[in-house]
Amino acid sequence: MNLVEKAVHHGGKLAPLVIPHGLTSGTGLMNPSIFIDNKGNILVNLRHVNYTLYHAENEQKFPSRFGPLSYLHPEKDRRLVTVNYLCRLNDDLEMTDHAKVDTSELDVEPIWEFVGEEDCRVVQWLDDYYLVGVRRDTTTNGVGRMEYSRIEIDWDNWAVKEVRRVRINAPAPNESYCEKNWIPVLDKPYHFIKWTMPTELVYANPISGECEQVFVKPTAVPPRDQRGSSQVIRWGSMYISITHEVDLFKNYLKQKDAIYRHRLVVWDQELNVIGLSKEFSFLDARVEFCVGAAVHKGNLLVSFGFQDNAAFVLQVPGAVVEDLIMEALAYEN
Amino acid sequence: MRIEQLVVELSKDPFNPALNFDVAVEYEKQNQTASAVSFYLRTAEYGHETHPALVYASLLKAAHCFDDQNDRQATVSNCLLQAVAYLPYRPEGYFLLAQFHERLGQWQECYTWACIGLHNQLNSHLPVHVGYEGQYVLLFEKAVSAWWIGRKDESLELLHKLDGMKLTHDYEVAVKSNLGRLTHVAL
Repeated sequence: MNLVEKAVHHGGKLAPLVIPHGLTSGTGLMNPSIFIDNKGNILVNLRHVNYTLYHAENEQKFPSRFGPLSYLHPEKDRRLVTVNYLCRLNDDLEMTDHAKVDTSELDVEPIWEFVGEEDCRVVQWLDDYYLVGVRRDTTTNGVGRMEYSRIEIDWDNWAVKEVRRVRINAPAPNESYCEKNWIPVLDKPYHFIKWTMPTELVYANPISGECEQVFVKPTAVPPRDQRGSSQVIRWGSMYISITHEVDLFKNYLKQKDAIYRHRLVVWDQELNVIGLSKEFSFLDARVEFCVGAAVHKGNLLVSFGFQDNAAFVLQVPGAVVEDLIMEALAYEN
Repeated sequence: MRIEQLVVELSKDPFNPALNFDVAVEYEKQNQTASAVSFYLRTAEYGHETHPALVYASLLKAAHCFDDQNDRQATVSNCLLQAVAYLPYRPEGYFLLAQFHERLGQWQECYTWACIGLHNQLNSHLPVHVGYEGQYVLLFEKAVSAWWIGRKDESLELLHKLDGMKLTHDYEVAVKSNLGRLTHVAL
């Protein structure tokens, strides 16, 4: 049973996230990150891309010319471009506002094909709002680093502007090619879980971009590498986060393909991993991606992208979350 | 039905081709073409042995979605070619291929696909409208392209034939317009 079916069966709700075609030309709306601020605003960063993901599933009778998994950008523009929209939802998870994040004051000419800040998680630390994602357009070979994008929100006119951009170094020696999917620990300002299992916690200075390792805690070895997805949030006396795992492979023609699945990770108060759920999917697509979770009225709101082409928020009833946690605790033990 | 309800239904039976198709159609109604493509492709992949009309229509609609996004011609053409390979005895895909090449000014290709389409006239409806109004749309493509590949007499003959047929308003206008201009040039 996929998580959407399970959640809805137990009283949850699914909300599609759509912004008008006139703003997007119909290409992908994906990987939303949900967050609830200290005033109770339900915010979502919605990633819009200039491509459509083509994914032939099942027996792959109808692949694209470029293989079963292809990013179909315009033929005269090879770039994969991301822009972000900050949206506000009401308590029924209906979108009431959306605004493109105005990055114009801080933009520099991109010099690689992946353009923009990707898969941003929304956080609010010390009253400042940030989008924290990966940017790969500042070097000619696509080196990826996490970035703080501090935003200011005009609540009356619903406009969003990026006012500070800080590229975060990897912990010394800062030589890695691509850092991404660091997941913010919401009640520990400027701290991220960089690796899940083992758990590596880092602190990243929001002004200088310097980053230091706080600790690495050993864990059991997961069936697959657990990569960061949702923010790390409090659930009772525990921390929880949704992680993802990827099976990347190639077909006999050496064309790439992938299957993504998710799990729930549970930590104790000292961020020791104490549970890992079984893998699950949201809607049984092979490519799905979660980058947000928030507690709302005893339920868990989880935001996810479907094949890079559609975006949803799922309200998971508290009882279902508890079941997942129990499963996770049992699995780890 | 709203997308939310349709996707919830789909979540209970996620590989059901008809449910995927319903979601795709609803997204396409909102011009959310990337989202629509995802569900059309799932319809095609999970229905290819059981739901031929839905699969065929999905490939044609996916082509339409990519066309709507502009500058993805290779993929538009690929989806149409997959459709005609899947159900080669139906005319709609040939018509869309002819129309695709007409827009690119590739007249021999347009003429060829139109001719093939005219020889494949399975008379059963698709679950969605894909722009195919009937056999005459293929005759129209053949007539227009014939002119540009040096078959002037054939072109005029087909346009005169079309002029005597019952057509939709747009085609009626287009036939009369072409007939007027081409007759003038031919003289």
